[in-house]
Amino acid sequence: MTTVLDAILTMLQDHWFWGATTLICLAWYSTVTVYVAIRGAADIRAMLRRLRRGASSTKPV
Amino acid sequence: MTSLTVLDGGIIAIYLLITMVAGVAIRRYVRRVEDFIVAGREMNVYLGIASLAATEFGIVTCMYAAQNGFDKGFAGAVPGLLTFAAMFLVGYTGFCVKPLRDSGVMTIPELFEKKFGPRVRWAAGVVIVLGGLLNMGVFLRMGGDFLVNVAHLDPRYLEVMMTALLVGVAIYTILGGMLSVLVTDFLQFVVMSAGLIVTTFLILGKVGWGALVDAVEVHHGAGGFNPFANPTMGWSYVIFNALLNTAAVLTWQTQIARVLAAKDSATGRKVYTRTSFFFVARWLVPGIWGIAALALLTPEQVPQDSILAMPRMLGMVLPAGLMGLLIAAMLAADMSTDASYMLTWSSVIYNDILAPFRRTKWSEKKGLFWNRTIVALIGVFLLVYGLWYKIEGDAWTYLGITGTIYLSSISTLLVACCYWKRANSWGAAAAILFGALMPVATLILQKVGPWRAWVKENEASCMIAVYATTAVAMIVGSLLKPQPKGSTAGDKP
Repeated sequence: MTTVLDAILTMLQDHWFWGATTLICLAWYSTVTVYVAIRGAADIRAMLRRLRRGASSTKPV
Repeated sequence: MTSLTVLDGGIIAIYLLITMVAGVAIRRYVRRVEDFIVAGREMNVYLGIASLAATEFGIVTCMYAAQNGFDKGFAGAVPGLLTFAAMFLVGYTGFCVKPLRDSGVMTIPELFEKKFGPRVRWAAGVVIVLGGLLNMGVFLRMGGDFLVNVAHLDPRYLEVMMTALLVGVAIYTILGGMLSVLVTDFLQFVVMSAGLIVTTFLILGKVGWGALVDAVEVHHGAGGFNPFANPTMGWSYVIFNALLNTAAVLTWQTQIARVLAAKDSATGRKVYTRTSFFFVARWLVPGIWGIAALALLTPEQVPQDSILAMPRMLGMVLPAGLMGLLIAAMLAADMSTDASYMLTWSSVIYNDILAPFRRTKWSEKKGLFWNRTIVALIGVFLLVYGLWYKIEGDAWTYLGITGTIYLSSISTLLVACCYWKRANSWGAAAAILFGALMPVATLILQKVGPWRAWVKENEASCMIAVYATTAVAMIVGSLLKPQPKGSTAGDKP
Protein backbone atom coordinates (compact mmCIF):
# COMPACT_ATOMS: atom_id res chain seq x y z
CA MET A 1 0.00 0.00 0.00
CA THR A 2 2.83 2.37 0.94
CA THR A 3 4.62 1.51 -2.32
CA VAL A 4 1.53 2.39 -4.34
CA LEU A 5 1.09 5.69 -2.48
CA ASP A 6 4.79 6.50 -3.01
CA ALA A 7 4.41 5.80 -6.73
CA ILE A 8 1.36 8.08 -6.91
CA LEU A 9 3.17 10.87 -5.05
CA THR A 10 6.16 10.54 -7.40
CA MET A 11 3.85 10.84 -10.40
CA LEU A 12 2.27 13.99 -8.96
CA GLN A 13 5.60 15.60 -8.09
CA ASP A 14 7.49 14.73 -11.26
CA HIS A 15 5.82 16.72 -14.06
CA TRP A 16 2.53 16.92 -12.17
CA PHE A 17 0.33 17.66 -15.23
CA TRP A 18 1.20 14.47 -17.09
CA GLY A 19 1.40 12.49 -13.84
CA ALA A 20 -2.08 13.59 -12.74
CA THR A 21 -3.52 13.08 -16.24
CA THR A 22 -2.09 9.53 -16.36
CA LEU A 23 -3.46 8.70 -12.91
CA ILE A 24 -6.94 10.07 -13.67
CA CYS A 25 -6.90 8.35 -17.02
CA LEU A 26 -6.07 4.90 -15.62
CA ALA A 27 -8.53 5.24 -12.71
CA TRP A 28 -11.31 6.45 -15.02
CA TYR A 29 -10.66 3.83 -17.69
CA SER A 30 -10.58 0.93 -15.19
CA THR A 31 -13.85 2.04 -13.59
CA VAL A 32 -15.65 2.76 -16.85
CA THR A 33 -14.64 -0.60 -18.33
CA VAL A 34 -16.34 -2.50 -15.50
CA TYR A 35 -19.39 -0.21 -15.47
CA VAL A 36 -19.89 -0.26 -19.25
CA ALA A 37 -19.38 -4.04 -19.32
CA ILE A 38 -22.36 -4.44 -16.97
CA ARG A 39 -24.67 -1.74 -18.35
CA GLY A 40 -23.73 -2.42 -21.99
CA ALA A 41 -24.80 -6.08 -21.65
CA ALA A 42 -28.19 -4.88 -20.37
CA ASP A 43 -28.42 -2.47 -23.33
CA ILE A 44 -27.81 -5.34 -25.78
CA ARG A 45 -30.52 -7.47 -24.18
CA ALA A 46 -33.00 -4.57 -24.31
CA MET A 47 -32.07 -3.73 -27.93
CA LEU A 48 -32.56 -7.32 -29.10
CA ARG A 49 -35.85 -7.54 -27.19
CA ARG A 50 -37.16 -4.40 -28.93
CA LEU A 51 -35.98 -5.68 -32.31
CA ARG A 52 -37.73 -9.02 -31.73
CA ARG A 53 -40.96 -7.22 -30.89
CA GLY A 54 -40.66 -5.03 -33.98
CA ALA A 55 -39.81 -8.04 -36.12
CA SER A 56 -43.18 -9.72 -35.68
CA SER A 57 -44.65 -7.47 -38.38
CA THR A 58 -41.81 -7.85 -40.92
CA LYS A 59 -40.43 -10.91 -42.67
CA PRO A 60 -36.68 -11.67 -42.43
CA VAL A 61 -34.63 -11.04 -45.59
CA MET B 1 12.03 -12.13 -25.67
CA THR B 2 8.59 -13.80 -25.39
CA SER B 3 7.09 -16.04 -28.07
CA LEU B 4 3.51 -17.23 -28.21
CA THR B 5 2.74 -20.16 -25.90
CA VAL B 6 -0.19 -22.61 -25.92
CA LEU B 7 -1.85 -20.49 -23.21
CA ASP B 8 -1.56 -17.37 -25.39
CA GLY B 9 -2.91 -19.25 -28.42
CA GLY B 10 -5.83 -20.56 -26.35
CA ILE B 11 -6.81 -17.08 -25.15
CA ILE B 12 -6.69 -15.73 -28.71
CA ALA B 13 -8.65 -18.69 -30.16
CA ILE B 14 -11.42 -18.44 -27.52
CA TYR B 15 -11.76 -14.71 -28.08
CA LEU B 16 -11.98 -15.10 -31.89
CA LEU B 17 -14.51 -17.93 -31.62
CA ILE B 18 -16.84 -16.03 -29.28
CA THR B 19 -16.68 -12.89 -31.44
CA MET B 20 -17.43 -14.72 -34.67
CA VAL B 21 -20.31 -16.71 -33.18
CA ALA B 22 -21.87 -13.59 -31.63
CA GLY B 23 -21.39 -11.52 -34.80
CA VAL B 24 -22.93 -14.12 -37.09
CA ALA B 25 -25.79 -14.99 -34.68
CA ILE B 26 -27.07 -11.40 -34.76
CA ARG B 27 -27.80 -11.58 -38.52
CA ARG B 28 -31.33 -12.87 -37.88
CA TYR B 29 -32.35 -9.48 -36.46
CA VAL B 30 -31.54 -7.69 -39.73
CA ARG B 31 -34.76 -7.19 -41.67
CA ARG B 32 -34.49 -3.71 -43.13
CA VAL B 33 -31.80 -1.44 -44.54
CA GLU B 34 -32.28 0.77 -41.44
CA ASP B 35 -31.39 -2.22 -39.21
CA PHE B 36 -28.27 -2.82 -41.30
CA ILE B 37 -27.02 0.79 -41.40
CA VAL B 38 -28.17 2.30 -38.07
CA ALA B 39 -29.18 -0.77 -36.01
CA GLY B 40 -32.86 0.16 -36.27
CA ARG B 41 -31.97 3.25 -34.19
CA GLU B 42 -32.21 1.13 -31.04
CA MET B 43 -28.76 1.81 -29.58
CA ASN B 44 -28.70 2.94 -25.95
CA VAL B 45 -26.05 4.92 -24.04
CA TYR B 46 -23.69 2.24 -22.63
CA LEU B 47 -23.70 0.11 -25.74
CA GLY B 48 -22.94 3.34 -27.64
CA ILE B 49 -20.01 4.15 -25.36
CA ALA B 50 -18.55 0.64 -25.76
CA SER B 51 -19.04 0.72 -29.52
CA LEU B 52 -17.62 4.21 -30.05
CA ALA B 53 -14.59 3.50 -27.86
CA ALA B 54 -13.90 0.12 -29.51
CA THR B 55 -14.24 1.55 -33.01
CA GLU B 56 -12.01 4.53 -32.34
CA PHE B 57 -9.19 2.38 -31.00
CA GLY B 58 -7.60 0.06 -33.53
CA ILE B 59 -4.08 -1.33 -33.81
CA VAL B 60 -3.36 1.60 -36.12
CA THR B 61 -4.41 4.00 -33.31
CA CYS B 62 -2.14 2.21 -30.88
CA MET B 63 0.74 2.36 -33.37
CA TYR B 64 0.52 6.08 -34.23
CA ALA B 65 -0.16 7.17 -30.64
CA ALA B 66 2.84 5.12 -29.46
CA GLN B 67 4.91 6.57 -32.30
CA ASN B 68 3.94 10.04 -31.07
CA GLY B 69 5.01 9.04 -27.53
CA PHE B 70 8.34 7.73 -28.83
CA ASP B 71 9.02 10.69 -31.16
CA LYS B 72 7.49 13.56 -29.14
CA GLY B 73 7.25 12.35 -25.50
CA PHE B 74 4.20 13.16 -23.36
CA ALA B 75 3.46 16.13 -25.61
CA GLY B 76 2.55 13.58 -28.29
CA ALA B 77 -0.70 12.90 -26.38
CA VAL B 78 -1.96 16.46 -27.00
CA PRO B 79 -4.31 15.37 -29.86
CA GLY B 80 -6.14 13.21 -27.28
CA LEU B 81 -6.68 16.18 -24.96
CA LEU B 82 -7.97 18.23 -27.90
CA THR B 83 -10.38 15.48 -28.99
CA PHE B 84 -11.65 15.16 -25.41
CA ALA B 85 -12.38 18.90 -25.25
CA ALA B 86 -14.07 18.92 -28.67
CA MET B 87 -16.23 15.84 -28.07
CA PHE B 88 -17.29 16.92 -24.60
CA LEU B 89 -18.33 20.38 -25.81
CA VAL B 90 -20.18 19.03 -28.85
CA GLY B 91 -22.00 16.44 -26.73
CA TYR B 92 -22.79 18.92 -23.95
CA THR B 93 -24.11 21.67 -26.24
CA GLY B 94 -25.55 19.43 -28.96
CA PHE B 95 -23.74 21.63 -31.52
CA CYS B 96 -24.66 20.23 -34.96
CA VAL B 97 -25.27 16.68 -33.62
CA LYS B 98 -28.70 17.56 -32.20
CA PRO B 99 -30.17 18.98 -35.42
CA LEU B 100 -28.45 16.17 -37.35
CA ARG B 101 -30.00 13.35 -35.27
CA ASP B 102 -33.37 15.13 -34.98
CA SER B 103 -33.58 15.34 -38.79
CA GLY B 104 -33.91 11.52 -38.95
CA VAL B 105 -31.33 11.06 -41.73
CA MET B 106 -29.08 7.98 -42.01
CA THR B 107 -25.98 9.84 -43.28
CA ILE B 108 -24.71 13.44 -43.24
CA PRO B 109 -24.99 13.94 -47.04
CA GLU B 110 -28.69 13.04 -46.79
CA LEU B 111 -29.10 16.10 -44.54
CA PHE B 112 -27.22 18.22 -47.08
CA GLU B 113 -29.74 17.35 -49.79
CA LYS B 114 -32.46 19.12 -47.78
CA LYS B 115 -30.47 22.37 -47.80
CA PHE B 116 -28.14 22.23 -50.81
CA GLY B 117 -29.83 19.85 -53.26
CA PRO B 118 -29.09 16.34 -54.63
CA ARG B 119 -25.86 17.23 -56.47
CA VAL B 120 -24.19 18.46 -53.29
CA ARG B 121 -25.39 15.31 -51.52
CA TRP B 122 -23.74 13.19 -54.19
CA ALA B 123 -20.50 15.21 -54.23
CA ALA B 124 -20.33 15.14 -50.41
CA GLY B 125 -20.75 11.36 -50.53
CA VAL B 126 -17.88 11.04 -53.01
CA VAL B 127 -15.38 13.07 -50.92
CA ILE B 128 -16.44 11.31 -47.71
CA VAL B 129 -15.77 7.95 -49.31
CA LEU B 130 -12.52 9.13 -50.95
CA GLY B 131 -11.09 10.49 -47.69
CA GLY B 132 -12.33 7.55 -45.63
CA LEU B 133 -11.02 4.83 -47.94
CA LEU B 134 -7.57 6.43 -48.28
CA ASN B 135 -7.52 6.73 -44.51
CA MET B 136 -8.46 3.17 -43.67
CA GLY B 137 -6.41 1.72 -46.53
CA VAL B 138 -3.30 1.62 -44.34
CA PHE B 139 -4.91 -0.06 -41.33
CA LEU B 140 -4.27 -3.62 -42.38
CA ARG B 141 -0.53 -3.45 -42.93
CA MET B 142 0.05 -1.50 -39.73
CA GLY B 143 -1.99 -4.07 -37.79
CA GLY B 144 0.06 -6.86 -39.34
CA ASP B 145 3.33 -5.07 -38.55
CA PHE B 146 2.28 -4.81 -34.91
CA LEU B 147 1.38 -8.49 -34.56
CA VAL B 148 4.53 -9.66 -36.36
CA ASN B 149 6.80 -7.52 -34.14
CA VAL B 150 5.07 -8.27 -30.84
CA ALA B 151 4.68 -12.00 -31.28
CA HIS B 152 7.87 -12.53 -33.35
CA LEU B 153 5.90 -14.10 -36.17
CA ASP B 154 7.36 -14.78 -39.60
CA PRO B 155 6.76 -11.59 -41.68
CA ARG B 156 6.01 -13.79 -44.69
CA TYR B 157 2.73 -14.70 -43.04
CA LEU B 158 1.67 -11.07 -42.49
CA GLU B 159 -0.51 -10.89 -45.61
CA VAL B 160 -2.12 -14.29 -44.99
CA MET B 161 -2.80 -13.49 -41.33
CA MET B 162 -4.35 -10.08 -42.00
CA THR B 163 -6.37 -11.42 -44.92
CA ALA B 164 -7.85 -14.14 -42.68
CA LEU B 165 -8.68 -11.56 -40.01
CA LEU B 166 -10.34 -9.25 -42.54
CA VAL B 167 -12.37 -12.10 -44.03
CA GLY B 168 -13.62 -13.02 -40.56
CA VAL B 169 -14.63 -9.41 -39.83
CA ALA B 170 -16.23 -9.05 -43.27
CA ILE B 171 -18.37 -12.17 -42.74
CA TYR B 172 -20.17 -10.89 -39.65
CA THR B 173 -20.32 -7.30 -40.92
CA ILE B 174 -21.85 -8.39 -44.24
CA LEU B 175 -24.39 -10.61 -42.50
CA GLY B 176 -25.35 -8.49 -39.49
CA GLY B 177 -24.46 -4.90 -40.42
CA MET B 178 -24.53 -2.35 -37.61
CA LEU B 179 -26.30 -4.78 -35.26
CA SER B 180 -23.41 -7.26 -35.46
CA VAL B 181 -20.93 -4.40 -35.26
CA LEU B 182 -22.51 -3.10 -32.04
CA VAL B 183 -22.62 -6.50 -30.33
CA THR B 184 -19.08 -7.49 -31.34
CA ASP B 185 -17.86 -3.97 -30.47
CA PHE B 186 -19.16 -4.52 -26.95
CA LEU B 187 -17.19 -7.79 -26.57
CA GLN B 188 -14.18 -6.16 -28.17
CA PHE B 189 -14.38 -3.14 -25.85
CA VAL B 190 -14.21 -5.39 -22.78
CA VAL B 191 -11.31 -7.53 -24.08
CA MET B 192 -9.43 -4.53 -25.51
CA SER B 193 -9.78 -2.45 -22.34
CA ALA B 194 -8.67 -5.32 -20.09
CA GLY B 195 -5.57 -5.83 -22.24
CA LEU B 196 -4.73 -2.11 -22.40
CA ILE B 197 -5.15 -1.52 -18.66
CA VAL B 198 -3.23 -4.63 -17.51
CA THR B 199 -0.37 -3.98 -19.96
CA THR B 200 -0.08 -0.33 -18.89
CA PHE B 201 0.08 -1.21 -15.18
CA LEU B 202 2.69 -3.86 -15.99
CA ILE B 203 4.81 -1.34 -17.91
CA LEU B 204 4.49 1.30 -15.18
CA GLY B 205 5.51 -1.32 -12.59
CA LYS B 206 8.46 -2.59 -14.63
CA VAL B 207 9.85 0.68 -15.95
CA GLY B 208 8.68 3.13 -13.27
CA TRP B 209 7.35 6.66 -13.72
CA GLY B 210 10.72 8.22 -12.96
CA ALA B 211 12.45 6.29 -15.74
CA LEU B 212 9.73 7.31 -18.22
CA VAL B 213 10.09 10.99 -17.31
CA ASP B 214 13.91 10.74 -17.47
CA ALA B 215 13.78 9.13 -20.92
CA VAL B 216 11.57 11.95 -22.24
CA GLU B 217 13.81 14.60 -20.66
CA VAL B 218 16.99 13.07 -22.11
CA HIS B 219 15.62 12.57 -25.64
CA HIS B 220 13.23 15.49 -26.06
CA GLY B 221 13.97 18.02 -23.29
CA ALA B 222 11.19 20.50 -22.45
CA GLY B 223 9.56 19.76 -25.82
CA GLY B 224 8.70 16.28 -24.56
CA PHE B 225 6.25 17.79 -22.07
CA ASN B 226 5.17 21.02 -23.75
CA PRO B 227 3.96 20.89 -27.38
CA PHE B 228 4.78 24.57 -27.91
CA ALA B 229 8.43 23.94 -26.97
CA ASN B 230 8.67 20.90 -29.24
CA PRO B 231 10.39 21.64 -32.59
CA THR B 232 8.28 19.00 -34.39
CA MET B 233 5.00 20.37 -33.02
CA GLY B 234 4.47 24.05 -32.13
CA TRP B 235 1.41 26.25 -32.60
CA SER B 236 0.65 25.05 -36.12
CA TYR B 237 0.53 21.40 -35.00
CA VAL B 238 -1.77 22.20 -32.06
CA ILE B 239 -4.11 24.40 -34.14
CA PHE B 240 -4.25 21.83 -36.96
CA ASN B 241 -5.08 19.08 -34.47
CA ALA B 242 -7.73 21.23 -32.78
CA LEU B 243 -9.41 21.82 -36.17
CA LEU B 244 -8.96 18.22 -37.29
CA ASN B 245 -10.35 16.69 -34.11
CA THR B 246 -13.30 19.09 -33.89
CA ALA B 247 -14.16 18.33 -37.51
CA ALA B 248 -13.81 14.59 -36.82
CA VAL B 249 -16.11 14.78 -33.80
CA LEU B 250 -18.71 16.52 -35.98
CA THR B 251 -18.46 14.46 -39.16
CA TRP B 252 -16.17 11.40 -38.96
CA GLN B 253 -18.34 8.59 -40.31
CA THR B 254 -17.62 6.07 -37.55
CA GLN B 255 -18.25 8.62 -34.79
CA ILE B 256 -21.33 10.26 -36.24
CA ALA B 257 -22.81 6.83 -37.06
CA ARG B 258 -23.21 6.31 -33.29
CA VAL B 259 -25.20 9.54 -33.00
CA LEU B 260 -27.37 8.49 -35.93
CA ALA B 261 -27.89 4.97 -34.50
CA ALA B 262 -28.86 6.35 -31.08
CA LYS B 263 -32.48 6.13 -29.89
CA ASP B 264 -32.73 9.94 -29.91
CA SER B 265 -30.51 13.04 -29.90
CA ALA B 266 -30.30 13.10 -26.08
CA THR B 267 -28.88 9.55 -26.11
CA GLY B 268 -26.42 10.48 -28.88
CA ARG B 269 -25.22 13.50 -26.89
CA LYS B 270 -24.78 11.38 -23.73
CA VAL B 271 -22.70 8.88 -25.72
CA TYR B 272 -20.45 11.78 -26.77
CA THR B 273 -20.04 13.44 -23.36
CA ARG B 274 -19.45 10.13 -21.54
CA THR B 275 -17.01 8.73 -24.11
CA SER B 276 -15.05 11.97 -24.50
CA PHE B 277 -12.46 11.23 -21.80
CA PHE B 278 -11.71 7.90 -23.46
CA PHE B 279 -9.87 9.90 -26.12
CA VAL B 280 -7.30 10.98 -23.52
CA ALA B 281 -6.71 7.29 -22.73
CA ARG B 282 -6.66 6.51 -26.46
CA TRP B 283 -3.55 8.70 -26.83
CA LEU B 284 -1.94 8.57 -23.41
CA VAL B 285 -1.98 4.78 -22.84
CA PRO B 286 -0.18 3.86 -26.09
CA GLY B 287 1.88 7.05 -25.69
CA ILE B 288 3.22 5.66 -22.39
CA TRP B 289 4.03 2.40 -24.19
CA GLY B 290 5.98 4.42 -26.80
CA ILE B 291 7.84 6.29 -24.03
CA ALA B 292 8.61 2.95 -22.36
CA ALA B 293 10.18 1.85 -25.67
CA LEU B 294 12.27 5.03 -25.55
CA ALA B 295 13.41 4.14 -22.02
CA LEU B 296 14.04 0.42 -22.56
CA LEU B 297 15.38 -0.06 -26.09
CA THR B 298 19.09 0.37 -26.71
CA PRO B 299 20.07 2.38 -29.84
CA GLU B 300 20.84 -0.93 -31.61
CA GLN B 301 17.38 -2.26 -30.79
CA VAL B 302 15.51 0.82 -32.07
CA PRO B 303 14.07 -0.03 -35.50
CA GLN B 304 14.61 2.27 -38.48
CA ASP B 305 10.91 3.12 -38.52
CA SER B 306 9.98 4.53 -35.09
CA ILE B 307 6.44 3.18 -35.41
CA LEU B 308 7.82 -0.33 -34.77
CA ALA B 309 9.62 0.61 -31.51
CA MET B 310 6.59 0.05 -29.25
CA PRO B 311 5.68 -3.45 -30.53
CA ARG B 312 9.35 -4.45 -30.30
CA MET B 313 9.46 -3.29 -26.67
CA LEU B 314 6.23 -5.16 -25.84
CA GLY B 315 7.68 -8.33 -27.36
CA MET B 316 10.57 -8.02 -24.89
CA VAL B 317 8.73 -7.26 -21.64
CA LEU B 318 5.43 -9.14 -21.75
CA PRO B 319 5.26 -12.54 -20.03
CA ALA B 320 3.42 -15.57 -21.47
CA GLY B 321 -0.33 -15.37 -20.83
CA LEU B 322 -0.29 -11.61 -20.85
CA MET B 323 1.03 -11.77 -24.40
CA GLY B 324 -2.10 -13.74 -25.35
CA LEU B 325 -4.34 -11.20 -23.62
CA LEU B 326 -2.59 -8.31 -25.36
CA ILE B 327 -2.84 -9.90 -28.80
CA ALA B 328 -6.50 -10.75 -28.19
CA ALA B 329 -7.01 -7.13 -27.08
CA MET B 330 -5.29 -5.78 -30.19
CA LEU B 331 -7.19 -8.15 -32.48
CA ALA B 332 -10.37 -6.96 -30.75
CA ALA B 333 -9.35 -3.35 -31.32
CA ASP B 334 -8.57 -3.97 -34.97
CA MET B 335 -11.64 -6.05 -35.73
CA SER B 336 -14.03 -3.49 -34.24
CA THR B 337 -12.35 -0.70 -36.18
CA ASP B 338 -12.28 -2.56 -39.51
CA ALA B 339 -15.91 -3.67 -39.16
CA SER B 340 -17.18 -0.23 -38.33
CA TYR B 341 -15.13 1.50 -41.02
CA MET B 342 -16.32 -0.92 -43.71
CA LEU B 343 -19.93 -0.55 -42.63
CA THR B 344 -20.13 3.20 -42.13
CA TRP B 345 -18.41 4.08 -45.39
CA SER B 346 -20.45 1.54 -47.33
CA SER B 347 -23.56 3.21 -45.89
CA VAL B 348 -22.52 6.51 -47.54
CA ILE B 349 -21.90 4.75 -50.87
CA TYR B 350 -25.33 3.12 -50.71
CA ASN B 351 -27.31 5.97 -49.22
CA ASP B 352 -25.75 8.91 -51.08
CA ILE B 353 -23.55 7.93 -54.04
CA LEU B 354 -26.06 5.39 -55.31
CA ALA B 355 -28.97 7.72 -54.52
CA PRO B 356 -29.40 8.82 -58.18
CA PHE B 357 -29.89 5.15 -59.12
CA ARG B 358 -32.60 4.72 -56.51
CA ARG B 359 -35.11 7.20 -57.88
CA THR B 360 -37.71 4.45 -57.69
CA LYS B 361 -37.79 2.92 -54.22
CA TRP B 362 -35.76 -0.29 -53.87
CA SER B 363 -37.14 -3.23 -51.92
CA GLU B 364 -35.55 -3.95 -48.54
CA LYS B 365 -34.15 -7.18 -49.99
CA LYS B 366 -32.45 -5.38 -52.88
CA GLY B 367 -31.19 -2.64 -50.54
CA LEU B 368 -29.66 -5.17 -48.17
CA PHE B 369 -28.08 -7.06 -51.07
CA TRP B 370 -26.33 -3.91 -52.30
CA ASN B 371 -25.24 -2.84 -48.82
CA ARG B 372 -23.66 -6.25 -48.28
CA THR B 373 -22.01 -6.19 -51.71
CA ILE B 374 -20.49 -2.76 -51.02
CA VAL B 375 -19.09 -3.90 -47.65
CA ALA B 376 -17.47 -6.86 -49.44
CA LEU B 377 -15.98 -4.58 -52.12
CA ILE B 378 -14.54 -2.24 -49.48
CA GLY B 379 -12.94 -5.29 -47.87
CA VAL B 380 -11.28 -6.14 -51.20
CA PHE B 381 -10.05 -2.53 -51.51
CA LEU B 382 -8.58 -2.68 -47.99
CA LEU B 383 -6.62 -5.78 -48.94
CA VAL B 384 -5.24 -4.39 -52.20
CA TYR B 385 -4.46 -0.81 -51.10
CA GLY B 386 -3.18 -1.91 -47.70
CA LEU B 387 -0.52 -4.06 -49.31
CA TRP B 388 1.16 -1.51 -51.59
CA TYR B 389 0.83 2.03 -50.22
CA LYS B 390 3.85 3.30 -48.28
CA ILE B 391 3.28 6.16 -45.82
CA GLU B 392 5.59 9.20 -46.04
CA GLY B 393 6.27 10.84 -42.66
CA ASP B 394 4.47 9.82 -39.48
CA ALA B 395 1.27 7.79 -39.56
CA TRP B 396 -0.89 10.28 -37.65
CA THR B 397 -0.12 13.08 -40.09
CA TYR B 398 -0.92 10.81 -43.08
CA LEU B 399 -4.26 9.95 -41.48
CA GLY B 400 -4.83 13.64 -40.72
CA ILE B 401 -4.18 14.68 -44.33
CA THR B 402 -6.36 11.97 -45.89
CA GLY B 403 -9.09 12.65 -43.34
CA THR B 404 -8.93 16.37 -44.12
CA ILE B 405 -9.96 15.58 -47.72
CA TYR B 406 -13.48 15.50 -46.40
CA LEU B 407 -13.33 16.69 -42.79
CA SER B 408 -12.64 20.32 -43.72
CA SER B 409 -15.42 20.62 -46.28
CA ILE B 410 -18.06 18.39 -44.67
CA SER B 411 -17.68 20.02 -41.25
CA THR B 412 -18.00 23.44 -42.89
CA LEU B 413 -21.09 22.28 -44.78
CA LEU B 414 -22.61 20.80 -41.63
CA VAL B 415 -22.15 23.95 -39.55
CA ALA B 416 -23.47 26.11 -42.39
CA CYS B 417 -26.37 23.73 -43.03
CA CYS B 418 -27.44 23.81 -39.38
CA TYR B 419 -26.79 27.44 -38.49
CA TRP B 420 -26.40 29.73 -41.53
CA LYS B 421 -29.57 30.56 -43.42
CA ARG B 422 -27.75 32.19 -46.32
CA ALA B 423 -25.62 29.05 -47.06
CA ASN B 424 -26.43 27.58 -50.46
CA SER B 425 -25.30 25.11 -53.11
CA TRP B 426 -22.64 27.41 -54.65
CA GLY B 427 -20.89 27.81 -51.31
CA ALA B 428 -21.22 24.08 -50.60
CA ALA B 429 -19.76 23.12 -53.98
CA ALA B 430 -16.84 25.57 -53.59
CA ALA B 431 -16.09 24.24 -50.07
CA ILE B 432 -16.13 20.61 -51.25
CA LEU B 433 -13.87 21.43 -54.20
CA PHE B 434 -11.23 23.33 -52.22
CA GLY B 435 -11.45 20.97 -49.24
CA ALA B 436 -10.72 17.95 -51.43
CA LEU B 437 -8.18 19.36 -53.88
CA MET B 438 -5.78 20.92 -51.38
CA PRO B 439 -5.10 17.80 -49.23
CA VAL B 440 -4.82 15.65 -52.37
CA ALA B 441 -2.29 18.17 -53.76
CA THR B 442 -0.37 17.97 -50.46
CA LEU B 443 -0.26 14.16 -50.68
CA ILE B 444 1.01 14.34 -54.27
CA LEU B 445 3.58 17.06 -53.50
CA GLN B 446 4.90 14.90 -50.63
CA LYS B 447 5.81 12.26 -53.20
CA VAL B 448 6.95 14.26 -56.26
CA GLY B 449 8.10 17.69 -57.34
CA PRO B 450 10.63 20.24 -56.11
CA TRP B 451 8.67 21.16 -52.92
CA ARG B 452 8.82 17.73 -51.25
CA ALA B 453 10.98 18.86 -48.34
CA TRP B 454 9.05 22.10 -47.81
CA VAL B 455 5.66 20.35 -47.83
CA LYS B 456 6.87 17.71 -45.36
CA GLU B 457 8.15 20.40 -42.99
CA ASN B 458 4.98 22.51 -43.22
CA GLU B 459 2.25 19.85 -43.33
CA ALA B 460 0.37 21.30 -40.35
CA SER B 461 0.36 24.84 -41.76
CA CYS B 462 -0.83 23.52 -45.16
CA MET B 463 -3.73 21.74 -43.45
CA ILE B 464 -4.71 24.84 -41.43
CA ALA B 465 -4.81 26.68 -44.76
CA VAL B 466 -7.18 24.00 -46.09
CA TYR B 467 -9.66 24.54 -43.23
CA ALA B 468 -9.47 28.34 -43.59
CA THR B 469 -9.84 28.23 -47.39
CA THR B 470 -12.79 25.85 -47.17
CA ALA B 471 -14.64 28.15 -44.77
CA VAL B 472 -13.91 31.19 -46.96
CA ALA B 473 -15.07 29.26 -50.07
CA MET B 474 -18.37 28.45 -48.36
CA ILE B 475 -18.94 32.09 -47.39
CA VAL B 476 -17.87 33.63 -50.71
CA GLY B 477 -19.69 31.03 -52.83
CA SER B 478 -22.90 31.46 -50.87
CA LEU B 479 -22.76 35.26 -51.06
CA LEU B 480 -22.06 35.20 -54.81
CA LYS B 481 -25.14 33.14 -55.69
CA PRO B 482 -28.05 35.41 -56.53
CA GLN B 483 -30.88 34.99 -54.05
CA PRO B 484 -34.40 34.28 -55.23
CA LYS B 485 -36.59 37.39 -55.02
CA GLY B 486 -38.25 37.78 -51.62
CA SER B 487 -35.95 35.21 -49.96
CA THR B 488 -33.42 35.95 -47.23
CA ALA B 489 -32.17 32.42 -46.82
CA GLY B 490 -30.23 29.79 -48.83
CA ASP B 491 -31.55 27.23 -51.29
CA LYS B 492 -34.28 25.91 -49.01
CA PRO B 493 -35.38 28.41 -46.39
